[in-house]
Amino acid sequence: MKADVTVIGGGPGGLVSALFAKRNGAKKVLILEREDELGGILKQCIHNGFGLELFKKDLTGPEYAERLIDDINKVGVDYMLDTMAIHLSNDRTITAVNSKYGVFNIESKSIVLAMGCRERARGNIVIPGTRPAGIYTAGVAQRFINIDGYLPGKEVVILGSGDIGLIMARRLTLEGAKVKGVYEIMDHPGGLKRNIVQCLNDFDIPLYLSHTVIEIKGKDRVTGVVVAKVDSKMQPIEGTEEFIKCDTLLLSVGLIPENELSKEANIEISSNTKGPVMTETMETTVPGIFSSGNVSVVFDLVDYVAETGVIAGKNAAEFAKEKNENKKFINILPGKNVGILFPHRYSYRDDLILFLRAGKWIEKPVSIKIKPLNMKMRRFYARPNEMIRIKILQDKLLSAKGDITVSIKEVEG
Amino acid sequence: MIKHFTCVICPIGCEIDVEENEGKLILLNGNMCARGKEFVIQELKEPIRVLTTTVRIKGAEFNMLPVRTDKPIPKRLIPIIMEDIAKIEVNAPIKMYKVIVKNIAGTRVNIIATRSM
Ligand SMILES: Cc1cc2nc3c(=O)[nH]c(=O)nc-3n(C[C@H](O)[C@H](O)[C@H](O)COP(=O)(O)OP(=O)(O)OC[C@H]3O[C@@H](n4cnc5c(N)ncnc54)[C@H](O)[C@@H]3O)c2cc1C
Ligand code: SF4
Repeated sequence: MKADVTVIGGGPGGLVSALFAKRNGAKKVLILEREDELGGILKQCIHNGFGLELFKKDLTGPEYAERLIDDINKVGVDYMLDTMAIHLSNDRTITAVNSKYGVFNIESKSIVLAMGCRERARGNIVIPGTRPAGIYTAGVAQRFINIDGYLPGKEVVILGSGDIGLIMARRLTLEGAKVKGVYEIMDHPGGLKRNIVQCLNDFDIPLYLSHTVIEIKGKDRVTGVVVAKVDSKMQPIEGTEEFIKCDTLLLSVGLIPENELSKEANIEISSNTKGPVMTETMETTVPGIFSSGNVSVVFDLVDYVAETGVIAGKNAAEFAKEKNENKKFINILPGKNVGILFPHRYSYRDDLILFLRAGKWIEKPVSIKIKPLNMKMRRFYARPNEMIRIKILQDKLLSAKGDITVSIKEVEG
Repeated sequence: MIKHFTCVICPIGCEIDVEENEGKLILLNGNMCARGKEFVIQELKEPIRVLTTTVRIKGAEFNMLPVRTDKPIPKRLIPIIMEDIAKIEVNAPIKMYKVIVKNIAGTRVNIIATRSM
């Protein structure tokens, strides 16, 4: 099988990439999706708050997905459902499997990776104790309730204050479960402020910062957890242990890009963003393989996912036409107080949209500096849980030589 | 009295401190936009939220159809509305934005489907 642009994954990142590949002149655009429907994680995110930037409307996840699916159907994008990409090679050949064709190859002029991210599970964090039923990641519980219509438990403790955990605290409460509390090991919440307000405060659900679960009790089913306060080195403080009765423990301890296929194609993975090393055109280190959405770096907002899809789709279409293997680039490096910084390289072909997170909490006015451009931006504070987006026009960058460094500095006043 | 708010209208989530003095609102702190001001005024009067949930659906690929209120509703009405919604079951096919319940719990707000199924 042959295609001009093949998109792996049919979530918002993949749908927008396919849409813009088509709009930019790619003839055969094909989406591979392992599930039986397009839409990705959005289908189970039934809450609102999506699309304020892209659609200028406050939409729920399913509405956002359906609008995009309508759009790709209008422009004539092909898609194959129940089809999983199982191999990827750096000559842009994908091996996929489905029940209709069995195992088959797709040779594509360019490729967009859009496999999304996965939730960190208990294996990634260590809690001693038994392994009874009743322990789920927040996303799995979200699917149970919102799609399958099944309440995973009656008395719930949530470990980690990521956005999905906060949203599930509200959802479980609405469905009649008792959420005993959200326990966060850090001294700051992981999720967005608005979710603390509308998911916890609105329903009087307590949030315990600098706390963690140190033991899980129960043989067949969870019967409770032991929580404790932690010190500044995140070690449990003796004497603060407390038993909390519950039948369910939800984990909301973070997301990581899905990297299996990327690694197989010898795409360089960044230790900073945990996804592929990328340029402003959303190209990975393998020419002709692009990436969009949460497989690149974990974004806070689906609108940012969509924005990377627009860029990846457009550039994948151009590569399919002219195979532009531009090797010239400068690095984009995190300086003082900058944690995550995306993308990693600038190749002088487009505007640069930077996404960054502060490396630590600064509850004071700060200035974000971009060297060597002499750009400075003021902000009221810098917080790791809020992604910052900065767009720099190509004109400003053409004369830039040497690496670009982004740093955050505290300022007076 | 100084009151503290976090605006939930957009993901920026501005923190806003205001002082209410004889019905007048004085902004003390916060980088809010016009919508944030409306939010604070509404929050002082009666907090309202969009409610999103699911109803049972028959004859579709999945068991649950996602729905929401077509307008924000007073927060205090959420429990009664959830009780009413729990009794509902619909049949596929349903188009996105179809009204599932008109005037739920006498609020003049409708419950609408948020996807086709
Ligand atoms: C459980 C969960 C809940 C979330 N809730 C929110 C939220 O409420 N708000 C928010 O803004 N963000 C949320 N996020 C983040 C969310 O991932 C993004 O906002 C957005 O959905 C990312 O879009 P995407 O297209 O990058 O990935 P996804 O939506 O995850 O789409 C990836 C798609 O790729 C498919 N796929 C993966 N591997 C393969 C393969 N090998 N072959 C074929 N298909 C494949 C998957 O089946 C999936 O459909 C959530 C994430 C998770 C994991
Ligand atoms: S005040 Fe305006 S900018 Fe701030 S959170 Fe509210 S809507 Fe967003």
